[in-house]
Amino acid sequence: MAAFKLKIVTPDGTMYDGEARSLTVRTVEGDVCILPKHINYLTALGMGEAKVVDVDGNARKAACIGGMLSVSGDRVELVPTTFEWADKIDADRAERARAEAEEKLSHREKLSDHELAIAEAKLKRALVRSGVARRI
Amino acid sequence: MAGVSMKDIKLRIRSMESTKQITKAMEMVAASKLRRAQDNVTKSRPYFETLYNTVCEIAEGSGSFTSPYLESREVKKSCYIVIAGDRGLAGGYNHNVLKLAEAEMAGKNVTVVPIGKRCVENFRAHGYDVLTDAYFEAGDVSVSDCFTLARDLCGRFLTGEFDEVHIVYTGFVSILVQQPAVMTVLPLHGTGAGQKPASETIYEPDSETLFAAIVPEYLGGLIYGALCESIASEQGARRTAMDSATKNAEEMISDLSLKYNRARQGAITQEITEIVAGSNT
Repeated sequence: MAAFKLKIVTPDGTMYDGEARSLTVRTVEGDVCILPKHINYLTALGMGEAKVVDVDGNARKAACIGGMLSVSGDRVELVPTTFEWADKIDADRAERARAEAEEKLSHREKLSDHELAIAEAKLKRALVRSGVARRI
Repeated sequence: MAGVSMKDIKLRIRSMESTKQITKAMEMVAASKLRRAQDNVTKSRPYFETLYNTVCEIAEGSGSFTSPYLESREVKKSCYIVIAGDRGLAGGYNHNVLKLAEAEMAGKNVTVVPIGKRCVENFRAHGYDVLTDAYFEAGDVSVSDCFTLARDLCGRFLTGEFDEVHIVYTGFVSILVQQPAVMTVLPLHGTGAGQKPASETIYEPDSETLFAAIVPEYLGGLIYGALCESIASEQGARRTAMDSATKNAEEMISDLSLKYNRARQGAITQEITEIVAGSNT
């Protein structure tokens, strides 16, 4: 079966380096799935779930936030800001972060624009992570 | 021998010994911090490199579109992000990177973003235009701080507040070797390997939106990478400096012990001579 070389690197280390059959990620425009022999492609990542299918057909899911995806030839590079495999996500922590952010947003009139933006971003990240963790 | 009294020598040995204890302790602390920092560097380096190479490749193959990030404008004002340490006693670490930064900036109209206590103090004392001193402690700067700074700088770059952005940091070559370096991050430029034939590439949503989303990420990633390298370098430099300080202290102590023993022997010999002389008469 056809495969491509996939490399996932984040500031916390290399998360995946090897062959893969398919990669699904959420970009700023919506979900895309990369299969072998894809045309050269470049896009920015949004916040959402990523799915990697390795050469043996095993699928792994992860929370993938920010960064970019580039395809050139048979090389696929995923360079996210945050990438956490679903089985490594601390669901309780994500849940706590969600509660904290919601609590903060509940009296939004007290927050400055900057604080509001941070709290909203935190809530979104927490939602993505707890969502991915729940769907293992 | 009689010139220096035994008491003086003893005092000096004692003070040398306490100095040695301090340098030894500092070396040990630096060594343990170095291990953690080195881990960080090896983990983040692939990210750092992939990010840089990918963006360079895009910039190189960008014949078909334009972006404000790609244009090299006439340089009226430059922005330098300078990363140095929070503390001294790290050999030439702070000095080297600051010297390089000052040499780079000479004759240019610059604004500085200093990271690290030593760096903030240095640029403030020399009357440079400091953009922000929010990053006082290099050790406390987190990934999200890097991205916030990057977004801010990108915004200012786009409004034309400055026309180029450089990072001055210390590259971590090995535990013993640290190399201060300058990296030009904006405007984007190719790797210089020659123009590749612009192969068919799809940019989604479109190149402009894409660049607006990617470039702050790219800059943030590079700042974070440079920071990791610098922190590891600082600990490496401190470990080496403290190691040689400890060795010097040991050398001085052994030298002084020798002098002390000679003085002691001299005093005994003199006493014997005096006694013998006394009994003979």
